[in-house]
Amino acid sequence: MVKVLCAALALLFVLAHPAAAQLSFKPTAESVHEDQLLNALKEGDKITGRISIPDAMAASLIQPAGRDWRDFHRGKLPIIGGIAIIGMFALLTIFLMVRGRVRIRDGFSGRKILRFASFERFTHWLTASCFIVLALSGLNISFGRILILPLFGPEAFATMSAYAKLAHDYLAFPFMLGLVIMLVIWIKDNIPGKLDLQWLKQGGGILFKGQHPPARRFNAGQKGIFWIVIIGGALMSVSGWFLLFPYLPGNVTALQVWTVIHAVIAMLFIAVMLAHIYIGTIGMEGAFDAMGTGEVDLNWAREHHSLWVQEEQAKGHAPSGTAPRAMPAE
Amino acid sequence: MKVFLAALVFAAIAAVGVSMFLNTIQQPSSVAFTTGGARVGDPGNNLIGPS
Repeated sequence: MVKVLCAALALLFVLAHPAAAQLSFKPTAESVHEDQLLNALKEGDKITGRISIPDAMAASLIQPAGRDWRDFHRGKLPIIGGIAIIGMFALLTIFLMVRGRVRIRDGFSGRKILRFASFERFTHWLTASCFIVLALSGLNISFGRILILPLFGPEAFATMSAYAKLAHDYLAFPFMLGLVIMLVIWIKDNIPGKLDLQWLKQGGGILFKGQHPPARRFNAGQKGIFWIVIIGGALMSVSGWFLLFPYLPGNVTALQVWTVIHAVIAMLFIAVMLAHIYIGTIGMEGAFDAMGTGEVDLNWAREHHSLWVQEEQAKGHAPSGTAPRAMPAE
Repeated sequence: MKVFLAALVFAAIAAVGVSMFLNTIQQPSSVAFTTGGARVGDPGNNLIGPS
């Protein structure tokens, strides 16, 4: 009975004092709106508070620059990545259609020369396999919501993304190890020289059908890939290290800058690696053997690395003499 | 092929090894940022965790 009476009095109070009721139910009606607040903040401004936990970054309550960062990741980055990756696919397809597969001019000789030792191939595949998982799991962050979520649904996508994130975090370490080993074992053969200019002027003998320019163990194209992998990999490693340990950059703004560097370099890196994979597989006859078995055909080696073959022959590491022309298969 | 498979196995072992190492030298945020005056919710048991 008392409760009913209290409720009736409260209702009477509300009806008799509409202004009081408005204040009671909409306490923020007269306050500053969030949009007004955020628009009033200038670039670099932050709203910070006092915190009682030992995490200084948690004191940043509102950082308007974060909106630009979010817009970049949701808007510009997928466009940059899409253009780079789809553009590279398109370019390679057109190149294959116009130029065709780069064949061995004199055909397979049937005689082999050791191109890469086991440890070199191990290092290559260690880095490459990690890179493929890192690339796919990274692309999932930018394109997964658009491409994969509608196909598999939210639960499967969430589970897959969680495992992909774990793989991305931890396979980064063997990837970085592979980069360091590659730098140590291949840098001596990848120092740019005058011979590389000649190779570039002739399009590597690949862009235009004709005589292949002379090259030592690595030609200018391969040297370019090497330095892109080393420099791009170093940038990915440093920026990725800051993402793995987000307290290292010191503040949220620096962390956001590193994520942008990581994402943009990643998209370009993936596009360049597509070209590397293309020329190492379907783009050039006989090229995959170098990283497959480690041994390449002598005619292939003579065409693409003539000076290196001479050096290996002088050391007694390669069959000497003129290779016989290949006979067509029966 | 053996070299390729060896590289895959090594990558997997290295990744698992790194994860175990990092788990031993790092504390969960609920432990690292809890003080005598403030307790940080244990992930999984707060409002944003899976349970």
